[in-house]
Amino acid sequence: MLSRVADNLYWMSRYIERAEGMARMIQVHQNLALEYAQGDEQLAWFWKPVLQSICAEGFPAGQNEIRNLVKELIFSSGYENSIYSCISLARENARMVRDQLSEELWLELNNIYLFFRNGEADEVYQQGSDLLLDRITRFSLVFQGLADATVPHGEGWRFLSLGKYLERADQTSRMLDTLNLRDKEPTRTDLMSVLRCCIALSAFRQQFRGNLSLQNVATFLLFSENFPRSIRFCIRAIDHSLHTISGVPTGAFSNEAERLTGSTLAMVNFTDWSQVQAKGLHQTLDELQSTLIEIGQRVFETYVLLPSEIKSLGERNIAQSAQAQQQQ
Amino acid sequence: MSNPCQFDGYKTDHFFDEMFAQGESLNPRTHYEKIYQRIDRLTEKEISERRQQADSSFLEHGITFTVYGDEGGTERIFPFDLIPRVIPESEWKMIESGLRQRILALNLFLNDIYHGRKIIKDGVIPEEIVNSSKNYRPEMVGFEPPQSVYAHICGTDLIRDEDGKYLVLEDNARCPSGASYLLENREIMKRAFPQTFGGMSVRPVEAYPDLLLRTLEYMSPRKSQKPVCVLLTPGVYNSAYFEHTFLARQMGIEIVEGKDLIAIDSCIYMRTTRGLVQVDVIYRRLDDDYLDPLVFREESMLGVPGLMDAYLKGNVALANAVGTGVADDKVTYAYVPEMIKYYLDQDPILENVPTYLCWRDADRSHVLANLESLVVKAANESGGYGMLIGSASTAKEREEFARLIEKHPREYIAQPIVSLSRHPTFCEGGISGRHVDLRPFILYGEDIEIVPGGLTRVALREGSLVVNSSQGGGSKDTWVLNDF
Amino acid sequence: MRLYLFHRTSYRYPSLVKQSYNELRLHPLSNDWQKCISSTIAILPICRTQSYLDLNGNIVHYFELPEEHKKLVIEARSVVETRSRVDFENFPYGVKISNFLKMQGVAEYRDYLQASSYVEINPEVWRMAVDLQGGSNDVFQTAYQIMEFIYQNFEYCKTTTTVDTHANEVLELRRGVCQDFAHAALALCRCLGIPARYVSGYFYDSTRDRKMRGAEASHAWIEVMVNGHGWFGLDPTNNRVVDDTYVILGTGRDYRDVAPVTGTYFGARPSEFEVTVRVKREKNT
Repeated sequence: MLSRVADNLYWMSRYIERAEGMARMIQVHQNLALEYAQGDEQLAWFWKPVLQSICAEGFPAGQNEIRNLVKELIFSSGYENSIYSCISLARENARMVRDQLSEELWLELNNIYLFFRNGEADEVYQQGSDLLLDRITRFSLVFQGLADATVPHGEGWRFLSLGKYLERADQTSRMLDTLNLRDKEPTRTDLMSVLRCCIALSAFRQQFRGNLSLQNVATFLLFSENFPRSIRFCIRAIDHSLHTISGVPTGAFSNEAERLTGSTLAMVNFTDWSQVQAKGLHQTLDELQSTLIEIGQRVFETYVLLPSEIKSLGERNIAQSAQAQQQQ
Repeated sequence: MSNPCQFDGYKTDHFFDEMFAQGESLNPRTHYEKIYQRIDRLTEKEISERRQQADSSFLEHGITFTVYGDEGGTERIFPFDLIPRVIPESEWKMIESGLRQRILALNLFLNDIYHGRKIIKDGVIPEEIVNSSKNYRPEMVGFEPPQSVYAHICGTDLIRDEDGKYLVLEDNARCPSGASYLLENREIMKRAFPQTFGGMSVRPVEAYPDLLLRTLEYMSPRKSQKPVCVLLTPGVYNSAYFEHTFLARQMGIEIVEGKDLIAIDSCIYMRTTRGLVQVDVIYRRLDDDYLDPLVFREESMLGVPGLMDAYLKGNVALANAVGTGVADDKVTYAYVPEMIKYYLDQDPILENVPTYLCWRDADRSHVLANLESLVVKAANESGGYGMLIGSASTAKEREEFARLIEKHPREYIAQPIVSLSRHPTFCEGGISGRHVDLRPFILYGEDIEIVPGGLTRVALREGSLVVNSSQGGGSKDTWVLNDF
Repeated sequence: MRLYLFHRTSYRYPSLVKQSYNELRLHPLSNDWQKCISSTIAILPICRTQSYLDLNGNIVHYFELPEEHKKLVIEARSVVETRSRVDFENFPYGVKISNFLKMQGVAEYRDYLQASSYVEINPEVWRMAVDLQGGSNDVFQTAYQIMEFIYQNFEYCKTTTTVDTHANEVLELRRGVCQDFAHAALALCRCLGIPARYVSGYFYDSTRDRKMRGAEASHAWIEVMVNGHGWFGLDPTNNRVVDDTYVILGTGRDYRDVAPVTGTYFGARPSEFEVTVRVKREKNT
C-alpha cells in the first residue's frame, strides 16, 4: 500500500475517534455544568480543567464567550480539535484515499460532513445540543462498524485501527487526567463524569459494584483487560496491529514503533495502582501521553518516510555499478 | 383537459435542433421518439423527484469538481441534465471512422515532427509552426515512445453546424477529462428512466475503464511481469481530482501524487508501506510542465524529479507521451486535414471549422477587419479561457484582442461563429433549447478504441456557446443507439 | 454484418536497412457483397503512401523508405459491412462442369483455369480430383467435395510449410495452413475445369467456443465460378461456405497476386517479425 495512503487512513480514523471523544466529553460536561455552575465565572472555573486536558486552555478568548463555548467546541473552524474541524479533516484525508474506502464508508463520512456544511447541524443544535452530539457519537460508531464490516481486513484496515486505538488511548488518558487538574479531591460526580466520557459506567459497575473511588476508576480505565477503551486494551490492539502490518511475531520488534508499544504494553500489563500512586497519577498519565505521541511519530517514520530503505537501495546500486566497472 | 405536456411551447428557433426536425410543429426525429414521449408526459413531481435523485447521487458520491478561488465551498457538482442526447447508429459510424482517422494522423504527425520531419520537408506544414508551439518539447526529438504511440488518450470536441454537419472544434491530446462523467451520467440515467433506456437499445459505455487499463498495460516496458500502472494526480485540490480517484478505482490501480514516486537509477519507484515498488506505466493527469522539476518548471512541487530521465531511458512509460501538446495547438489544428491527406492519402471524414491563422498576413487583416463576426481563440489555452466571441463582445474587448493579435499573431486563431446545434434541456421555466457539443474519448493502445458516445456538454446559460464546466456548462448522457 | 479489422505487421532488423520498397494489399474491396466503409493504412517510420488498382481489381498501396531504418510497422484498420452471398437453403446446384470446358476461351475465366506460380496442373492431381468427383458433373457439388476432402484429410499445422510452399507439396504432405489448403483446392478445381481463384482476407469467428482456424490471422480461401450464379467462396480450412463473416481483401490466381505485404530492401533479414490481426464485430443487431 502507498505510504501516503496508509498515513491518510490512519489520520482519518484518528480524527473520527477524536470527534466522537469530543462529542461525549462535551455532552457529559455540559450536563454537569447545568447542575453545578451558575454565572460566567463559575462556568469558566468548571470548564478550565476540561479545556486544559484537551489542550484548549486559551479557548474561548473572552469570559463573555463562555456561554458560547459549547457551540464553539462543536462548530469552530478555527479550533482544530472542534468536532467540525475533526470531521472536515477526516473527510479531507478520506477524499485523498477514496479509492481505498468502501462506498458505504465514504457516504457515511461525506453525509455527516454535508450535514454540517448545509446548515442542518446548526438547525439540530438549535433544537438541543444533545440531539446533535448524539448524532455525532452515533455516526462514529456506525462508521467504525462499517469499517469493520465493509473494508477488507488487510493492511489498510490495520492502519485504520492503529489510528483509532492510538487516539482512543490518548482520549482515555486525557479524560482520566481531568481528575488531577481540579484543585481538590475528585468528587463522586467527577468520577462518574469521567466514566461517562469513556462510556465505561455500566462496565465499571459490573466489575466494581458501584464502589466508586479514584483508585477503582483509575485502575479500571488504565488496566482493564477487556474493556475496549482502557489504556491496556488499546495498547494491546496497537501492538497487534503493528505486528500484523510488519509480519514480525509479537514479543519481538522490527522497528521503533513496535519496540515502544511493546515496552508500554509490558508496563501496563505489570503495573498496579500502588505503583501508579507512588509515581503520581498525573505523572503516569503524562508519560503515557508522551509515549503515545512518540509511537505515532515512529509509525510515521517507519511506514511513511522510509528514509532508510531509500538510502540503502541507492547504496546497493552504487556498489553494483562499481563492481561492473572493475570487470571491464 | 389532460396534463400539460413538457414540450408545450418549445421552440427550435432557427437553430439545428438535435431532437426536432425543422418545421412549424414539433416533429421529433425518429431516434428521439421514445425518450420524447417519456419526457413529454412527465409530471412536475416526477421531474423534481428525478432531479433530486440525480443531484443527491452526485453529491453523495462526491462527484464534484473544484472551482479555484471560491471560498464558500471549493466543491461543486457539474450540473447534469436529465434529457439524454441520442445519436443514431449511422451517424455514430461516421463519427467513429472520422475520429480513428484523425487520431491516427495526429499520432503520425507527432512521430514525424520528433523524427524525420518529412511533412515539413515536403512543405505541407511550415516549420515555424511546430518550433514555436508552446508545447513542443525538444527533449523528445529522436525518442521513440513505447509502441510508437504519442496520444494514447484523446478527447476530441465535436460540434454541429446549422445544417447538422459534425465538425471538429478541437483536439485534447494532453490530459482530457470528463470520462468519469460519461460513466456516472449513464448510471444515473439508467436509474431515472429504466424502461425507456431498456427499450431504446443503447450501446453500453462501461467498458471504458477496462479499455483504458489495457491501453496502459500495453505500453509497459517490462513485458515479463504484470505491469505496475499508476495514475499520477496533481492532488486532491485539482479540479478533476474526483475523476482521478474514480478512474483509478475502476481500473484497480494506485492513484499517486508526485511525492509518492521517487526516481532511483533512472527507474521510478513508488513508496509503499512495504518499501519501494517499481512502476512501469504512469497515466499522468499532469501537464508536461509539472512532470519533472529537473527538466521543466523548477518550482513545480507536483512532479517527480528524475522522471524525464527514466522516461527517456525507456524504463517507464507515460500516457500521454511528453510533447503531445503540439497537437492541441489550435494552429496545428488548422493543418489536420493536410496531415490526413499527407500521411493517409485520404480526405478527412470529419471536417474542421474553417480557421484563420493570425500569423498569416492575409488572414490577420481579415480577422482584424471582421472581429465582430468571428470567435478569436488563444492557440494554447483550453477550458474556454482566452476567448473572444465577436458578436457578444464590447468594443473595448475587441480593441484589447486586436492589440493582442498584433502583438502575438502566432498565439491567436479565429473562426467564424458556428451556431452550435441545440438540445432540449431542463431550464428554469420549462424545457428550452441550449447549445451542445460532444466529447468522445479515444483510446490508442494496441489499437484505437472509442467508447460509443462520449460526454455531451451543454451551455446552460441561454444563448451561450461556451460549454466548459468552468464557464457554466453542464452535461448530458449520450446514447448511441443500435439500429434494428 | 459490420466488422472492424485491425492488421499490424512489424519487422525489426538486426542492423540498419535502407531503400525499402513495398506493396500492400490490405485495403478491403467493395463489391456487391461487401462495402468498405473506411480503411486507413499507416506506416512507421513516417512515409507517404499512394495507391493504384492492379489487374485483378485489387487496391494496392505502395511506399518507399529510402532512408536507413531498423523497424518497419504497417498498420491497416478497416470497417467493412458484409452480407451473405449464399442462400444456405438453396445452394447453386445444377450447373454442369462440361459447360465450362467450352468456355476455356473466355478471358474472364481463363487465368483461373490454368497453372500459376503455386498451382500446377498435372496428371497426378487430375487423378486425385477425378476420384473426388465420384462421377458427379455438378460444379458446386464437386467443389464442395474438394473442400470437404481437404478439411477432413489435411492436418492444420503451422510449422511444416512456409510462404513459398507449392500446391504439389501440400497435396503430398497433406499438411499446412490456410494458404496451402487454398492452393491445394485451386489445383484440384482447375484440373477438373472449374474456374477457381485465390482469396485473401479475414473472417470473424462467430462460434461460441472460438475454435475456428485462422480467425485472428490473415486468412485465405478460394472462390469457384458457378456459371450463371457468380463466384462462390469455399473455405477448406474450416469446411465452410463463405458467408457474411468473411471479408475479402483481394483475389487473384494464387498467393503471389494478393500477398498482403511484399517488398524489397537492402539489408539483413528481420530479426523479429510479428503479425497481429483483430477482427471485431461492431454491434448492430
